[in-house]
Amino acid sequence: MIELAALGARVGSFALEDVSFTIPQGRYGVVIGPAGSGKTTLLETIAGIVPQTAGTLRLDGRDVRGVPPERRRVGFVYQHGLLFPHLSVEENIAYGAVSGDAAREAARRIGAESLYGRSVRALSGGERQLVAIARALAAEPSILLLDEPFSALDPRRRTTVRREVRALHRERGMTVLQVTHDFTEAGLLGDVAVLLDAGRVLQHGPPERVFRHPASPYIAEFLGAENVFAGEVHILGDAAPDWVEGTPAPLALGAHAVEFCAGPMRIYTVGDAPPGPGYAVIRAEEVLLSPEPHVSSARNQFVGRIAEVETLGALTRITVDIAGMPLIAALTTRSAKELALEPGREVYASFKAMAVHLC
Amino acid sequence: MSVFAPPVERTMPSAMRANRIASIVAAVAGSLFLLFLFAPIAKLVGSAGATGAQRLFTDAELRGSLWLTAITATAATVLGVIGGTPLAYLLARRTFRGRAILAAVIDLPILIPHPVAGIALLLVLGRQSLVGSAALHVGLRVVGSAWGIIAAMLFVSAPLYVSAAREAFARVDTRYEAVGRTLGDTAWRVFRRVTLPLSVRGLIGAAVVMWARAVAEFGAVVILAYNPKVVSVLSYDRFTSYGLTEALPVAAVLAILALIPLTVLRALRPGRGAGFDEL
Repeated sequence: MIELAALGARVGSFALEDVSFTIPQGRYGVVIGPAGSGKTTLLETIAGIVPQTAGTLRLDGRDVRGVPPERRRVGFVYQHGLLFPHLSVEENIAYGAVSGDAAREAARRIGAESLYGRSVRALSGGERQLVAIARALAAEPSILLLDEPFSALDPRRRTTVRREVRALHRERGMTVLQVTHDFTEAGLLGDVAVLLDAGRVLQHGPPERVFRHPASPYIAEFLGAENVFAGEVHILGDAAPDWVEGTPAPLALGAHAVEFCAGPMRIYTVGDAPPGPGYAVIRAEEVLLSPEPHVSSARNQFVGRIAEVETLGALTRITVDIAGMPLIAALTTRSAKELALEPGREVYASFKAMAVHLC
Repeated sequence: MSVFAPPVERTMPSAMRANRIASIVAAVAGSLFLLFLFAPIAKLVGSAGATGAQRLFTDAELRGSLWLTAITATAATVLGVIGGTPLAYLLARRTFRGRAILAAVIDLPILIPHPVAGIALLLVLGRQSLVGSAALHVGLRVVGSAWGIIAAMLFVSAPLYVSAAREAFARVDTRYEAVGRTLGDTAWRVFRRVTLPLSVRGLIGAAVVMWARAVAEFGAVVILAYNPKVVSVLSYDRFTSYGLTEALPVAAVLAILALIPLTVLRALRPGRGAGFDEL
């Protein structure tokens, strides 16, 4: 378990401040944040490489302030592997291994065994990362800290290694904290997502919640929520309006039926935001497009004209101009082609009230 | 020349012309400087190298002097490595108040004239001094002995070792050490298993430079121990006592011997792919 409470640390002029979150025992945490936000410094502070200057840091229930790295039972994998250049691949993996068998087993599981005969200098970036992961696992740490460990791996191997690390994490009951830039990876791996910016935690919680309910427009935009609208929150009343089917749980928990006015758009949703200025966030993948008006349960329906079609392989992003407001929808390229969605065409956009997040 | 090719001289832009002139001036200045450095040594070895080599077999005093020089320089270097390595590591790795002052103090012996260094050492290690008299009390004579030579050599050449060793340690990425610590090693074990192997070339290079400087030392040694004579003192002694003819072979031998550390340093220079880049 990793518990941080108001943790502070300093490296040169950069400071981590008031960092608080918990990764429960045996869970997988992911740290996401822009470059220079302090992700690596955070891992180094947990590992004891960078001294903490404030707050509390508990690892597996033990306060580790002043405890040297070698007594924290923490494994650390840097982004570039940092293999010891004066040692062979085998010697690197065996460096801190609890036994020869543990080293061989870690190498086999990660797929680094075939590299044993190779010189460390002859390894590619991805292979170095494999050896570095195997080296950390061979020491059988209780907590594993990974700083973008899969970034240099090719996509196929990345999937395999990610799966194997996840499997080892489950088998050994290890607590893992991984830095990643890859939001898909964060969603796939993480039980807890920690969003870091300028040395502070902006938000943390289950990735699903962080991604769907960002705490601020900045977080929403950073996490790739394309549709962030500034506007005014109007409470419609505590009773379930006729457009909310049945009596959904959010209403029972004190949320209100809300009308959100953003320019010419009237967006209906349910939330606990106070009346007044605010932001509505709708993820692009929640927006449905149709060339014809259609009947559905989606409360929010708009007619607009396609302003831009951007295809990125199997995914297509379509910007719809709704009375001067851009609404972005993400759909498969195949759907976009089948529906003949092209710039200039009139289109109907819809999304459910529950797909709107107010912050 | 093609009829379409414009005459070079006429079309060359003024910036290009200025560059060419600067290159020529730099080449001439560099060549003259190289000649200045190389010519005296070449002349010395050329005119007296063969006689010097011959003297190695016939001149017992020269042989003894060479042996004494090698032994005392090696002893000074060993002491410098033992005392200077922790200091170099401290300067490379730790930030503390007064670090800049400490670094300046260590470099001081390089900057002061070496006879002055000898005089300063004499004040501390001479018979009248506390240390010198205490050493005499236990039968250790510093002034006018091999110990004095070692002390003088150590004083003037150890700063070179500390400086180069500090650079060697600083070149090792601290994250390697961090990884070693997370793999269960204490700071001392990481030093032995990671830092030392990664900086060993630099440390050996630093020791070789120190040794070479110790061998060449004259100013401080001559103040502290004119006798027994190391090669530099012997060369000076022959010059003042017998003239240039007698001094030349000794000086030539010393110049030839300087090739040894040069060769070692050359061999230590990492070749292609041998450097410890981030892996």
